[in-house]
Amino acid sequence: MVAAAPWADELAAKLGQRIDSMHLLPGGASKEAWAVEAGGERLLVRRALGGVIHEGTLSLENEFRVLEAAVEAGVKVPRPVAYLGELGGREAFAMELVEGETIGRRIVRDPPAGLEIQLAEELAKIHAIPLERLPFLRSGDVIERFEDELDSVGEPRPAIEYGLWWLREHRPEPLADVVSHGDFRIGNVVVSKRGLEHILDWEFAHLSDPREDVAWPLVRAWRFGADERRLGGVGEVGPYLERYEERTGRTLSETELDWWEVFGNVKWAVGCLTQCRRHLTGLDRSVEYAVLGRMAAEMEYELLDLIQNA
Amino acid sequence: MPDRPTAPELIEAVFEFLSGELLPTLDDHRMKFRTLVAMNALAIARRELEADTEWPSEEELCELARRIRAGDVDEDLHARLKEHVAAKLRISNPAYLEKYR
Repeated sequence: MVAAAPWADELAAKLGQRIDSMHLLPGGASKEAWAVEAGGERLLVRRALGGVIHEGTLSLENEFRVLEAAVEAGVKVPRPVAYLGELGGREAFAMELVEGETIGRRIVRDPPAGLEIQLAEELAKIHAIPLERLPFLRSGDVIERFEDELDSVGEPRPAIEYGLWWLREHRPEPLADVVSHGDFRIGNVVVSKRGLEHILDWEFAHLSDPREDVAWPLVRAWRFGADERRLGGVGEVGPYLERYEERTGRTLSETELDWWEVFGNVKWAVGCLTQCRRHLTGLDRSVEYAVLGRMAAEMEYELLDLIQNA
Repeated sequence: MPDRPTAPELIEAVFEFLSGELLPTLDDHRMKFRTLVAMNALAIARRELEADTEWPSEEELCELARRIRAGDVDEDLHARLKEHVAAKLRISNPAYLEKYR
């Protein structure tokens, strides 16, 4: 089969395998993903593109190291195969190509039994990765991080400011930092009929209070319309927290997560604005990024509602 | 005034083209999704053009944002912000507000 990328020979040399086929998978603005068959194996090659990498996004080299650390810790992740250095002048790595459902709307329609328990188990394993195993991961004040990001967007958003103000006023006692996935939610996991198969998208890994990860899948946007199930549209929070406690020894209450749920809504509201800027600045012109600028109001309303009921 | 069709009518015409003619011909999942996103963008623009909402000026929003950042928050601010955001949602996603009824 004809190789589709100009750097296919480089890839073959680095893998030490003949490339039997390769094709570009849809989506991905800052990185591209190629499905590659080489030496009887099905691989996914993640390769950087030109765009500016966001503050706090890992390089592909470091993302690969995080995947390796996750495998060592027994986390269900696609097997990292090789960090490839530069392919056609851009860094890349290869991992196992996995199959299964990742689309949030479809997962919440008929979630496999026990998914909330399995999410807790994987998160507990991630949070047990020794910090010194990944010395390049960064920590920092969560509120300052999003004040700075909002400032970099340069658009006045009083409702988000109000969320940040409330978070400052009600800041909880911090828990010691753990290795945090950074985007742990439905939409970034692979699910089959058997249940949770893989945790994907490690590029936002950092060090943080464990509750940042624990509460992130509770954010309404990540319930994909199944709002009555607070945990990612797939289950109840109680059993999730119980299993997390069993595995980590950390006792967390559902109300304790309220602050982090408000924080999550601030985070995703700001995330929508920064993604929209990719379009508005001409970095990545895309109607999908454009409409995210108007979607931020949903998180604004949700955070105001959560604060009202807190 | 400019000729008919008006701006909202032009948007409606493109929306109907995308939904009635283009969308049914698409097999590719990704292209279908992107077409739906494009239709959503058009619907937002049309609602905005047809609404007679009075929006705060950019200066007013900047001043408010600056005051909140400085910790200058009064008691009725929450309610005013909620109404402002609700007005934005009536343009961007009116169905979203139904979740809170």
